[in-house]
Amino acid sequence: MAIKKDLSIDFLGVKCENPFFLSSSPVGSNYEMVAKSFEEGWGGVFYKTVGIFVADECSPRFDNVNKEGLPWVGFKNMEQISDKPTEVNFENMYKLKRDYPDKIMVASIMGSNDEEWRKLAKMCDEAGVDLIEGNFSCPQMTSHAMGSDVGSSPDLVRAYSKAVSETTKIPFIAKMTPNITSMEVPAIAAIEGGAKGIAAINTIKSITNIDLENMTAMPVVNGKSSISGYSGAACKPIALRFIAQMLQNEKLKDIPISGIGGIETWRDGLEFLLLGCRNLQVTTAIMQYGYRIVEDMKNGLMHWMDERGYNKLDDFIGKALGNIVPAEDLNRDFKIYPQFDDEKCIGCGRCYVSCYDGAHQAIDWDAERRRPVLNDNCVGCHLCLNVCPVANCITPGEIKWKDGREQIDIAMKHNYE
Amino acid sequence: MSKVRKDNYTSEAASGFTPRTAMEEAARCLLCHDAPCSQGCPAGTDPGKFIRSIRFRNVKGAAETIRENNILGGTCARVCPYDRLCEEACSRCGIDKPIEIGRLQRFAIEQEEAFKMQILNTPENKKNEKVACIGSGPASLACAAKLATSGYLVTIFESEEKAGGVLTYGITPARLPQNVVDQDIQKVKDLGVEFVFNTKVGEDLTIDDIKDKGFEAIFVGTGLWAAKIPDIPGKNLDGVTTAVDFLKNARESKGTLDVGSSVVVIGGGDVAMDCAVSAKLLGAEKVAIYYRRTLEEAPANMEEIQYAISLGVTITTNFAPAEITGDGKVEFITFDGRDKKSSAKVAADTVVFAIGQAPEDMKKLAPIEVTEKGTIEADEDGKTNIDYIFAAGDIVNGGNTVVEAVAQGKKAAEEIMNYFEKKGVK
Repeated sequence: MAIKKDLSIDFLGVKCENPFFLSSSPVGSNYEMVAKSFEEGWGGVFYKTVGIFVADECSPRFDNVNKEGLPWVGFKNMEQISDKPTEVNFENMYKLKRDYPDKIMVASIMGSNDEEWRKLAKMCDEAGVDLIEGNFSCPQMTSHAMGSDVGSSPDLVRAYSKAVSETTKIPFIAKMTPNITSMEVPAIAAIEGGAKGIAAINTIKSITNIDLENMTAMPVVNGKSSISGYSGAACKPIALRFIAQMLQNEKLKDIPISGIGGIETWRDGLEFLLLGCRNLQVTTAIMQYGYRIVEDMKNGLMHWMDERGYNKLDDFIGKALGNIVPAEDLNRDFKIYPQFDDEKCIGCGRCYVSCYDGAHQAIDWDAERRRPVLNDNCVGCHLCLNVCPVANCITPGEIKWKDGREQIDIAMKHNYE
Repeated sequence: MSKVRKDNYTSEAASGFTPRTAMEEAARCLLCHDAPCSQGCPAGTDPGKFIRSIRFRNVKGAAETIRENNILGGTCARVCPYDRLCEEACSRCGIDKPIEIGRLQRFAIEQEEAFKMQILNTPENKKNEKVACIGSGPASLACAAKLATSGYLVTIFESEEKAGGVLTYGITPARLPQNVVDQDIQKVKDLGVEFVFNTKVGEDLTIDDIKDKGFEAIFVGTGLWAAKIPDIPGKNLDGVTTAVDFLKNARESKGTLDVGSSVVVIGGGDVAMDCAVSAKLLGAEKVAIYYRRTLEEAPANMEEIQYAISLGVTITTNFAPAEITGDGKVEFITFDGRDKKSSAKVAADTVVFAIGQAPEDMKKLAPIEVTEKGTIEADEDGKTNIDYIFAAGDIVNGGNTVVEAVAQGKKAAEEIMNYFEKKGVK
């Protein structure tokens, strides 16, 4: 690779060679898998969650959502925490850290009571892991004393964070569930309990598809199914929202966050960094494509940094956060009319159809020329721009100020991908 | 080395879609407001609608849209010149390449078969009038189906032992597999249309015999079955044949016809391509097409030309046949260049003339008005000089596409119904 940029970052006092980590999931279940991921360039691993509880899994356990033949828009997973003996997992973590000392080993743990959390924290200490993540968020546990049922209770999150933090000096990260209205509440509780960082988001409780053959959800397990966690590209917008709200909270704004949710490309990862995340976790895209995707994540991010003249991640981390404001704070004094490039236009009329049926009937259709013509009804919503299949055919054009409003220089988007 | 295709006589030229790949292709469709593809079909098929159905996971609805409009939906999906019709009109051409409309139509019709759908029905109350259709090619099948779905009793008289006309005897199965034709014809049979085979009207049976059987209107869709061979020396030598006979023999032999190692095909239309492709697939080592004009002037579909070339067939343009020589059997054929300077002498075991087909003597059928070329003089609704005789398809238009024949056969059916209505009023 011709391009070389420093992707290293400090996360909770631990020096990471890059921010791309495997999240605690099937992709980091044993020594061989994690070793391979390290060889291919991942910066570290949140090893698959270890508990005193050893999971008994169902078959099959996955499903995916597709749209127009595009698979894996979203992904459903019914697997719980590790199904291997606790000792075996800690031994793997120890050996991985021994064999790959520059890579970061994060133990993900889950207890079902105070005592178990303390016991697991102790084992983390003995295994010499760099960081500990508390899994307060797996939505498909077969016990209500564990997983997202715990994560939605601030008291339990606080208590278990305290149990771990009192037992070990290794920094503790609390992993949040999105199956809650306000993530700030349990996140603050975790910090109060002694957690040093937050990881978000775990998967979203879901039913991906109803099977018409068995009249149940997917996947079908002996004619039945269960609600379980949804992940993948479709979840990114929800993850970004929760993370922005936490980082804009007065009590959480300085807490290091590890971002998770639908990261497939360097650009997805960058979006989490721009909100302020200092670490990135990936599972679903690896399950679909394999560990090798990290090559383009790292290289793509380096090229973007080169384009923008950045030398390190801290140059731009959090740059977008301040520009996400409450709806009442937006400037509502103007509208931007779309402009249509008649040369680029192929005459499909999708802008006309969508504007009429889904917006403000602001486009007339010139049937003879097969071209849209904007009329006075336009409110500048840009539905037309969103639906147009041709790149840069419909773009933001003239700015129209509402009567009596102050005209200022405004920042607007010019380049659409 | 070029990668030349090695196919069998019965192997298909193109593969179809699976449900997944069909969805991917349908997702490429822009679902245009004015669907120019839907305005491009002579038979009035609405691709904009059936592709939208596939995109919104209603493949049965897609099959309905196609079959309700075109009784030969499966056949047309294989042989339509899409690149000159709906696909040429596709807006997506402005971005990259058109939607594969023909292949999506094929997919929808395959699903119709897979789901054993019965889309077309006849009304419970049948009409009193009976109609005879002469010939069982595209125009007759379309006319008969239209009449049957309107409640008329229809009988098709066919001179051959199988139905389909040019579809069954004239097109190479690589392009149009027999089972596709048979499935379309089964739809006609399912509508209660009767078929009488091995009966050549005008020879085995007269128009008056048909009238005596109670048929009050007669549709003529006999197609063009007389071959054209230019009047050049050697045209009667063994091994010199016409496209009609060549393709028919090839199909009837089920791919075992011995064509020799070197075949020369003369012509520039789809039929010439079919002959060349058949010859190659039948095992000829060397197959060469000679056409008297340029490729640009050739009426063949570019897709068919490319398919022939992909099999290793060569095409030489601007050469017209001058003489065939050989001792009782063809050995050489010579060509004169259009530039009046060039010439070529080519060794051949078989020479196939695919320079168009002519009508048989329609006067034998009825005292019907014909053109100079011998085609039936009929208006665009299929009316002839005899009030109860209607005609459409190649026998009227002198040789056009299957989809044109379907469109014209349907129109003639409408006109026949008008005729009955007017007669009833009197």
